[in-house]
Amino acid sequence: MMYEQQMKKNDMHRMTIAILVFCCSLCSMAQTVADELRSDVRRAAGMNYALTLPETPEDTPPPAGKRPFYINHFSCPSDYYLERHYDNPYQTLSRADSLGKLTELGRDVLRRVALLRSEEHERTGELTEAGKRQARDLALMMMRRLPEVFADNSYVDGRSIVQNNCLLTLGEAAVQISQAHQPLRVSTNASHRFRAWLDPRDKELEAHRNDSLAMARYADFTARWAPDNSRLTTALFNDADYVRSIDAAELCRQLFDLACCTQYTDVVGGRALYDLFTPEELHRHWLRRNAWAYIRYGGCTLTGGNEPYAQRRPLWNLLHMGDSIMSLDYPVVHLRYTNESVVMSLVCLMELDGYGVQTDCLDSLEALGWADYRIAPLGGSVMLVHYRTDKNDPDPLVRVLLNGREARMPIATDCAPYYHWLDVKRYYLRKLYAYARTRDDK
Amino acid sequence: MKKILAILFTVCCSCAPLLAEEQSTTELSTNKGRTVIDIIRQKPAYASCNYDTYPDSIPENLTPAPMGKRPFYISHYGRHGSRYINKRSGYEIPYKMMVHANGVNELTATGKQVFSEMNLILEDSEDRWGDLTPLGRSQQQHIARRMISRFPEVFADSACVAARSTIVPRCIMSMEAAMMELAQLNPRLHITMDASKSTQWYMNHQDPLLRSKLIPEAQKVYDKYTASRLGNSRLMEMLFKNPDIVKELVDESFFNYYLMKMGLFQLNTHRYQDTYLTDLFTTEDLYRMWQIDNALWYMQYGFCPLNGGDYPYSQRHLLRRIIAEADSCISLEKPGAQLRFGHETVLLPLVCLIGINGYDLQTTDLEELEEKGWWCSSVFPMGSNVQFIFYRRNPSDKDVLFKVLLNEQEARLPIRSDCAPYYHWADFRRYCLKKLDRYEKRRNNSR
Repeated sequence: MMYEQQMKKNDMHRMTIAILVFCCSLCSMAQTVADELRSDVRRAAGMNYALTLPETPEDTPPPAGKRPFYINHFSCPSDYYLERHYDNPYQTLSRADSLGKLTELGRDVLRRVALLRSEEHERTGELTEAGKRQARDLALMMMRRLPEVFADNSYVDGRSIVQNNCLLTLGEAAVQISQAHQPLRVSTNASHRFRAWLDPRDKELEAHRNDSLAMARYADFTARWAPDNSRLTTALFNDADYVRSIDAAELCRQLFDLACCTQYTDVVGGRALYDLFTPEELHRHWLRRNAWAYIRYGGCTLTGGNEPYAQRRPLWNLLHMGDSIMSLDYPVVHLRYTNESVVMSLVCLMELDGYGVQTDCLDSLEALGWADYRIAPLGGSVMLVHYRTDKNDPDPLVRVLLNGREARMPIATDCAPYYHWLDVKRYYLRKLYAYARTRDDK
Repeated sequence: MKKILAILFTVCCSCAPLLAEEQSTTELSTNKGRTVIDIIRQKPAYASCNYDTYPDSIPENLTPAPMGKRPFYISHYGRHGSRYINKRSGYEIPYKMMVHANGVNELTATGKQVFSEMNLILEDSEDRWGDLTPLGRSQQQHIARRMISRFPEVFADSACVAARSTIVPRCIMSMEAAMMELAQLNPRLHITMDASKSTQWYMNHQDPLLRSKLIPEAQKVYDKYTASRLGNSRLMEMLFKNPDIVKELVDESFFNYYLMKMGLFQLNTHRYQDTYLTDLFTTEDLYRMWQIDNALWYMQYGFCPLNGGDYPYSQRHLLRRIIAEADSCISLEKPGAQLRFGHETVLLPLVCLIGINGYDLQTTDLEELEEKGWWCSSVFPMGSNVQFIFYRRNPSDKDVLFKVLLNEQEARLPIRSDCAPYYHWADFRRYCLKKLDRYEKRRNNSR
């Protein structure tokens, strides 16, 4: 019913498409966003969702005789303290409290926000305890799944951008790997030099992100899908007139953002702030953030559809290293840690699991399966695992793990989820060359 | 007058109990009869003071602990390992002078070669400002390896190792390199790592009230001290066709100092094998630069009465923290190790504050520094560290002993001991806390 009311106010055409696609998706997709949010509300945090994996993820055995010999792994940082989300809701609620305008729940929320704020104080960019465990668990899982690559003669080379959340994630992973196998050569490094291929900037593409048409469509989208904040504000404040004097929508948005970046805290008795929102409100808040991520890092045609190419250099690195390592006769692991946004664009550029989808219809994203927490959550990664029979194998294979799970590439293969390296290389090189022709670079 | 007498009396009274605990004579220097110039002749990098590389071959000799006492806890503060220079501006002074001289065709053949070297160095350093180098990583790994092999009891079984770093990336990388080494040597260790803004107040405290800049009077003394040591006409003649004319573009003193630094810094980097710039300088040149730098470090970071004389107290929070954490760890059965990774601007004043090896020296005569062994290069090269190794018979032993290793060598403290280089923890604790209390009282009164 609420959808129908909004339709009257807004763009009928786009909404109809969205509803149609949404209904189709309900029928066709095994797990909808709503299902996934219900099973783990933390997913509403999108790119701030801290990835968890099942104890034993599914691993398809490689074709006969093929053994893993190289892992190239581009990862997001683990769960870390984010800045900027604490002061505004705290101040709004404090002011209201000093005027006696908060309900009991409102005062409890103020207490929780104050605790969260003091926990975060001077910790921006630092890993949370959950983040440290996550980095170690994910490294251990990698070793358990691919023990052949972590052998006595292996070389593990970890690199990070010069940013503490990434550096610390690398450190936790490297220490865990060092503890899990001896002897093992493990080296870590971080340098501004690595930005060229680990966190490249493309000012031209970045400028497109703020395209006025895209921003207008985004504003329209968020207005149509804005949650009804009256329920929450009525629950928090005891004076309707006072609520009218503040920016209630902004406060609700801020509380949601704060819930997203404090999802693993235990300072408020294991409860973050998700309990303030109904499932539908959470879903609608998530839609806003998901659309924003798609415009900035995905194949959104409102911004030209080329944003993922901002991360063409990491893809070059994946292709180049895949060839270089072939000549070595010992296993190699390359662990690379960079920003979530880099991994997200890289996934879209590689079109893994269909996330390269291009559309100008923000309403269709959910139905198309483009959900930020599935693509680049905290601790998420793209891992290319290379297989061969021996050093002279003319037909090495590669398997991609996206966030620890086997993923599809847009390339034909007779042994999925394994792909022939030569096909993979050919496909992506063509794609990169085609784009380079439009940009006068490589 | 009465007021002055009262202050003097208070100071004397407050010093009395301290003096009773202090060693009667605090000899300086642990350099075993070698002079600074001897050391520089053997290792030119020593002249670059805080840019010196860690002396990675550490003598094995350690004094056995008193009967029945065994190591059970280590508390440590270490500087990051070798790194690239922090900022481009560190190289810009000599480089810009060379650019100007080259622009007016004033460079000799050697000068052109030097200019070309400088370009290679800048190219190598670009986008690596402040990065930990491979040498820096291996320094940390070696220090960790020696720590675990010298004190295996502290790192036995699943001992806890709590590592903490400042939030500066090269310190985090140093911590991680050390922890990876420990993890390889004993995979059962329970290792935790931390790098948080919330601990900067003691891990990397820079006290604005004790600012390390020279006050005008101190500057005058320093200028007088350095006047005869600056400049290098031999170098000018070697690099410039008309040294007298080129002085319009090239300040001889600055150029000499910064070019030497630039050359010596490379021993920390990927270009460590290239000693072309360093080879331009004689041992005497290097020695003079060391004197200039050593005096400045003393005035800014030591107990130099000419410049306020209190700078080492900037590390009072760190020292209190080290003491508090040790007190807490002593109460545990198996405390393990607490390792902290930070900076030389913390380590040097900390060493002075504690008075390790006589670095709490107070003098107004800069010429005395060398003779009395106040040699900063022996304190804070890249990778430098102070380790407090704690000993006891068993967890119920109330007489906990400890010794201090400065850069992994046994050091002396300014307190009495019947078993040096081992000291009674209770004595040290009392000595430090009194010293800090006295300073803080004085500081509060002066506000």
